[in-house]
Amino acid sequence: MGWKQLAACLATAFVATTALAAEPWAEKTNALGASGKEVSGKLTAAELEKLIATGEELFIARYTVNDGAGRPAATQAIVPTKRRHPVQNAFSRTSGADGNACSSCHREPVVGGAGDFTANVFASEGFESADFDTTDPQFSSERGTNHLFGAGLIELLAREMTADLQSIRRDALLEAHKSGKSQRVKLETKGVDFGWLTVEPDGIADMSELDGVDMDLVIRPFSQKGVITSLRQFTINAMNQHHGMQPNERYGKRWTGTDDFDEDNFPDEMNAGDVSALVAWQATRPVPTRQVPDIEGWAEAAARGEELFNSTGCSSCHMESLPLKSPVFDDPGPVDVSGTLNRDQVKEVASYDLSLLPWFKTLPRNEKGEVLVPLFGDLKRHTMTDARGEELGNELMAQRFVDRNIFMTAELWGVGSTAPYGHRNDFTTLDSIILAHAGDAREQRDAFADLPEADRSAMIAFLKTLVIEQ
Amino acid sequence: MRQHIAKRILALAIAGAAIPTVSSGEDQTEAASPFTGDVPSMQEEALAAGIDHQYTGPWEFFVGGGAASFDCNGDRLPDLAIAGGSSEAALYVNKSPIGGALKFEKKDLGLPERELKSVLGFYPVDIDNDRQMDLVMLRLGENIILKGGKDCTFEKANRLFSFSGGREWTTSFAATWEAGMTYPTLAIGNYVDRSAPGTPFGTCSDNYVFRPQAAEGPDYSQPFTLHPSYCSLSMLFTDWNKSGQMSLRVTNDRQYYRGGEEQLWQLPDGRPPRQYTSSEGWQQLKIWGMGIAQADLNVDGYPEYALTSMGDTMLQTLDEEAEDERPVYRDMAFEKGSTAHRPYVGGDKRPSTGWHSQFADLNNDTNLDLFIAKGNVEVMPDFAAFDPDNLLLGGFDGKFHESGNEAGIALDTKGRGGVVEDFNADGMLDLLVVNRKHNVNLFRNLGAKTDWGHRPLGNWLKIELDNGKINPNAIGAKINVRSGTLTQVRTVQAGGGHASGQVGFTHFGLGVSERAVIRVQWPDGEWSAPYRVFTNEHVVIRRGADAAQYWFPVSQ
Repeated sequence: MGWKQLAACLATAFVATTALAAEPWAEKTNALGASGKEVSGKLTAAELEKLIATGEELFIARYTVNDGAGRPAATQAIVPTKRRHPVQNAFSRTSGADGNACSSCHREPVVGGAGDFTANVFASEGFESADFDTTDPQFSSERGTNHLFGAGLIELLAREMTADLQSIRRDALLEAHKSGKSQRVKLETKGVDFGWLTVEPDGIADMSELDGVDMDLVIRPFSQKGVITSLRQFTINAMNQHHGMQPNERYGKRWTGTDDFDEDNFPDEMNAGDVSALVAWQATRPVPTRQVPDIEGWAEAAARGEELFNSTGCSSCHMESLPLKSPVFDDPGPVDVSGTLNRDQVKEVASYDLSLLPWFKTLPRNEKGEVLVPLFGDLKRHTMTDARGEELGNELMAQRFVDRNIFMTAELWGVGSTAPYGHRNDFTTLDSIILAHAGDAREQRDAFADLPEADRSAMIAFLKTLVIEQ
Repeated sequence: MRQHIAKRILALAIAGAAIPTVSSGEDQTEAASPFTGDVPSMQEEALAAGIDHQYTGPWEFFVGGGAASFDCNGDRLPDLAIAGGSSEAALYVNKSPIGGALKFEKKDLGLPERELKSVLGFYPVDIDNDRQMDLVMLRLGENIILKGGKDCTFEKANRLFSFSGGREWTTSFAATWEAGMTYPTLAIGNYVDRSAPGTPFGTCSDNYVFRPQAAEGPDYSQPFTLHPSYCSLSMLFTDWNKSGQMSLRVTNDRQYYRGGEEQLWQLPDGRPPRQYTSSEGWQQLKIWGMGIAQADLNVDGYPEYALTSMGDTMLQTLDEEAEDERPVYRDMAFEKGSTAHRPYVGGDKRPSTGWHSQFADLNNDTNLDLFIAKGNVEVMPDFAAFDPDNLLLGGFDGKFHESGNEAGIALDTKGRGGVVEDFNADGMLDLLVVNRKHNVNLFRNLGAKTDWGHRPLGNWLKIELDNGKINPNAIGAKINVRSGTLTQVRTVQAGGGHASGQVGFTHFGLGVSERAVIRVQWPDGEWSAPYRVFTNEHVVIRRGADAAQYWFPVSQ
């Protein structure tokens, strides 16, 4: 066969493949690419609605090899990393790819929700021993799947807190330079105490008194550990780890020299627009609400339980709400670094106002007009074990510089809809997870344990009113 | 493939011959795969930044033209001392706002006019361990050591340090702290002896190694003569064989020596330096050696060396097939695409003339890049007249990709010395090039150019070491930075390049990594604990400290 005949055959085959791929029943995800290469500008309500709809399609899509699912030559690592050896199976429940759709795990009580023990994931750096086939905690940290409701507000809170903390640092540096004296400043934002920072006149910072935040003073509000900066970063990490779908803003030519880093013969599997759609869907999930079952005595018990929740000190970390100044969500955001798009990496960010969404109007405001986000959390990390309590210390590995027994305060909104509990879904009841608290929560845990049975029950009644609407 | 091998053999054969080497008739970029990473956009702004400075003078200043980058006022921003040849050398204090336009203010070096003139190069090194950076001025005539004081003040310290500046034509320098020594060993490389019969051909002055004598302060009264010497234009202390003991790598200009070659000297403890010989594996190589840059490109602990010359730049790696402990090198410049043998723009097909060379990651993608200053010696007709500086960006294909034109550094100047350094503390490396009979070029790295402006490059990390009371800047230390499965290594050095040196933060490009782990092998060989740090930060590692400290620049 001459090269002309060969070319003709290839062209025919390509046309046939293209035609088949365009059929409504094609085994691929049509929403991929639907948002364009990038999403930018201030979105109208209609544009946002369309983006969210595309994001939902991408969230529930069961990705196929025709989309680029699978990563035969790449590990689950957040930094593009080649496998050392080929693997026999494209999917692995442990080291991944381990999910067909985002909604495979984020599904309780509805899509975007949490996962029960069945949907646990295995967090591993993916560098050494990346292809583990065991649940032994020396290879990975087994984690429950978190829900995503209210995630947009969580990220906005974290961005504002990061800006506050870094502003405190900057002011201290300027003052130290100006005065020629070291400055020790309290790192507090939105009523949450992150310890102290001391800076010297020459610009050297002493981080030894930081509490619950990374040394770059970035609040990373996502994951059980509080090590993920943004929904965008989370999305890119998860698409690679769980599906083998590699967004080109991290795995593409710019950073790897190839458009097919995972060597599945599918180039540029996800563009920035696809990631933006997924972010938009997650960022606009409604906030969990309070619902008291119409059962006699529950309302009274819940009211009593909420008082006890405060009086026992649980609310010192599970803070009922944090105030948010601006509901405008910019994507990409201000904090991510190269490998995840940030606002400096694009011509114009996509910007949407979460206050335009129906659920937002239900949120209370404080006297400053700030929206009170009822997360029941503080976006801070705490030590969760001590000599008398090791139940939450069942991991062996630190994650991204955070020790094995340190976790971010779980936001309790939606907790009534997301059993089981704990970072590994080890606890089937709220009572048992509360009693498992230790370390920084020792005092509060003991206060709960010392309550009469009826009061402990009341607190459970209260917590069960914090639900995700179905 | 056969054609490729033939070309390589041709290049290797020519490398030892007496004509300018040109690897092939094709531009190396034609064969290379396209570069897909960020090309840094380098904006020239020397005059706007307040630097109006030329390197001038007759034949004696056809070579030299160096600069030193170092902090002389404690603000951790790199200041500059720039040689002027027949013009006065000058000090420029960095006043750049963080991440902003570059800005320098000229400051008096405090020397008489006659000492400010005839300067060919500068190297910074804290000789007396007082944490005020000293400067070694390479001169035509007496070399001068300037002892640094507070707020960028200096005083001549030749007498204080019992250092004889000599009367030679000095063109190269290197320093190292040998084992157990309080003060550094200095190497001084000289060029043509203009007073010898038959000069200039075959009349190279000897080089010297100044070991500190036992005394309370630096005492350099007893130099060793490095004989033979072959008109050395760059020298560098290097641990070529991972022995923990420094050797002295010297690159020499075949234009003037007779019977000479490239050199590698052993420095046995307490004994005179001794040159490696052919019986020990050292292969004779004759080039117009102008500058040395070192990097461990394959992270095997054995450094690679870029040697600039006329025609091909060489990229030497220890030959894996050679017996252990034998300094047998092979040139891999052709296979790596880094020969940079002729101008890449402008159409002049004559060979290039390379001077300063320096490895650095200018686009923060984790791959080391290679900068080479280029420029005709003066009006040598067999060599390119328009000879732009090179920016060879390291690719993920393991090769270098010429990107000087796209980066904006392909200017019609005669480059000599240079410094790749982050002058505005934004994590993106900028570039100073000292030019002959033309103002310096000071390029600010703006990031990657897009159709809407510039976007930041990859993540980065800058590391300052504090080795303690002796050798506070940790000259000779190795820094390992690990992110994921990737480990990068840099060695803190004083010497090399072309008449130019720098001391300060050591820069790493980290691509898409958000975090990294640092380990330091201190100059005496001791390893540090691992330090976990976030990227896009300046960190300071003090020997023995439990954690790395962060430094935050503040615009004044």
